[in-house]
Amino acid sequence: MRSKLIVVIFTTVLIMAGLLIAIVLADSVPNGAGLPHPEFNGMQAGGDGAARLEHIGGLAFAFQCLLLLLIVCLATLGVAEQRRSPELWAYMGGTLLFSLFVWYQMYSGHQAFLETGTTNYFMGFPVATAWQVYGTWLGAIPLIILYTVGFRKFIFTEEDERKYEQLLADIAARSEQ
Amino acid sequence: MEAYRQEIIVGAVVIYMIFCVITGLWAMRRTKNSSDFFIAGRGLGPIVVSLALFSSTLSGFGFVGGPGLVYSIGVSSFWMIVISSTGYALGFFLVAKRIRMIADVRNCISLPDVVAARYNSEAVRFLIAVTIVLGVMGYLATQILAMAVVMQAILSGTEMFANIGLVTCVVISSAVLIFYCVTGGIIASVYTDVVQGAIMMIAGTLILLTAMSVFDGGMQEATSIILADDGEAMMPFGAAGIMASLGWFFVFGLGLAGQPHLVTKMMMNKKISDNRSILPMSLFGYVMAALLWVSIGVIMRAAVIDGVISPLSLPDDAASVFLSVFTNPLLAGIVFAGLFAAIMSTSDAFLNIGTAAIIHDIPKAIRGHSIKNELFWARVVTVILAIVAASFALYSHFQDATLVAILGAFGWGTFAASIFPVLAIGLNWKGATALGAISAIVSALLINFIVQLAGVVLPYGILGGLIAFVVSLILFIGVSLITKKPELDADMEAVLNI
Repeated sequence: MRSKLIVVIFTTVLIMAGLLIAIVLADSVPNGAGLPHPEFNGMQAGGDGAARLEHIGGLAFAFQCLLLLLIVCLATLGVAEQRRSPELWAYMGGTLLFSLFVWYQMYSGHQAFLETGTTNYFMGFPVATAWQVYGTWLGAIPLIILYTVGFRKFIFTEEDERKYEQLLADIAARSEQ
Repeated sequence: MEAYRQEIIVGAVVIYMIFCVITGLWAMRRTKNSSDFFIAGRGLGPIVVSLALFSSTLSGFGFVGGPGLVYSIGVSSFWMIVISSTGYALGFFLVAKRIRMIADVRNCISLPDVVAARYNSEAVRFLIAVTIVLGVMGYLATQILAMAVVMQAILSGTEMFANIGLVTCVVISSAVLIFYCVTGGIIASVYTDVVQGAIMMIAGTLILLTAMSVFDGGMQEATSIILADDGEAMMPFGAAGIMASLGWFFVFGLGLAGQPHLVTKMMMNKKISDNRSILPMSLFGYVMAALLWVSIGVIMRAAVIDGVISPLSLPDDAASVFLSVFTNPLLAGIVFAGLFAAIMSTSDAFLNIGTAAIIHDIPKAIRGHSIKNELFWARVVTVILAIVAASFALYSHFQDATLVAILGAFGWGTFAASIFPVLAIGLNWKGATALGAISAIVSALLINFIVQLAGVVLPYGILGGLIAFVVSLILFIGVSLITKKPELDADMEAVLNI
């Protein structure tokens, strides 16, 4: 399974590289990376948001979906092969779906603002930005819970600890000989 | 109290610096060998490691550059910090357990030691050590310069030091830094980090509360002012656009596990099982401190647009103007002490890993063994490294900024691209080869160098660091897949199986 996981990671990165090339080659827009603010020195403005996403919106959306997949795959790679149980895979799948949901809410919230010019607010920020600030920050909570609560089940079990102590004891014994 | 604002701020900073000096003297008695000097003898508790880890992550850039970036490009820069939770999680999943085990099994005292053991390759050790030295010079120079500029701004507001020069400020701030790093090594560094981290958390929280009271409608009024002025600036991708934002998400998120000054701290805890509490504690500390970044930036941009204050001369003035206009003197004193704490906690970590690379790893890679009397030479090289970095900083400020700018390119992005694949994936995939590692490191260095020197500007704000990172990942895995699977030493095989 380990070799298959690294192939999934490799394929994901290759597709992301392809998307980056497509974005570089796409028609550019003047405010793609921002414009000087018309009034205040040192400030940048975004300008027409719909125009900025016209040629690359779909590509960028797909790029982020793959990045979220990459993050979950890498976290899974960090769990020893023998601990990658169906339960773990299901948990990681749920984590990925949660991250994708947050990303979709953020992206679609921005699209809705571009279409209507209005937005609601949540805890001080426009809704789409609130998904970014709170959703993304909290998006890793499932991974952190898995690491802390599931530490003895998936990361470093009692059996792992015994093996590790045995390894240290063997090394110490060899160095004394 | 307002009449003594400058004196209170100076007093807070002086108290903080005296604390650093005392800590250095205390730690000197606990530093008996090079293992103590570089990795605290692998004997630190979880709270100390947690605070040291997060306070080293948030440098002066977070306290000065961060609010300046929000002022300048709006929400785009939030991506650098909201990814922190994922970044920390990945760092612990991929690195924390095995780096600690390899450090124990092979008695490693530095990151290059660990990669040399993993790949059984002195070439990989050499390349990682050189990357660290180049990065450390750039980082240190900019941190020392930032420290001196802030000190000059504080002291010049008092009658006694009204005409103090930048060189004097570089000398004073570097002297304190050098003193506690030389006397107490990493032990002084991590114990000052504990207080530095606590100050940063308190500062972040108090600043958020202050920021929310600037406008009657709180944070929502501020964000609605920005939104009405330029919708994109307050939407998720900010003024810099979607690809710059996602690039930061990638480089800052995955890249955290490739930062040598952070992963080295994962070698210092007493017990591997402490990692389960270190992760949430580090993240909590980081989030509290980063509140300052978000809140000052948003309020300052809104305040300027709304005409509450005059436009700033430079975006990086956002934090200092906020402190002088909106906070009471006591809070300003705490935050300025927090700013010094942020700069020093990152600087001492870099001084430590840079010194290890110079006296331990590069000689070992070239001659097969490190130099004799490592502890003595560690102290000597720490002084020399800090003096050279301070000289770079002054040269950059008064003569030519190019050199430091080039070295500065070896910052977060280059560490991320060159070290993440080799370390984070390499510790979890037995098929990774030395040739794959060398390809990844060399490509990351070359791409970052070329992008920096040639001034390459990619469309849609795509970062050069993102390209370097993606290429490095592809080369690392691709070359490893097509080269012969390595024969691992028995102990490495055992570690990678756990």
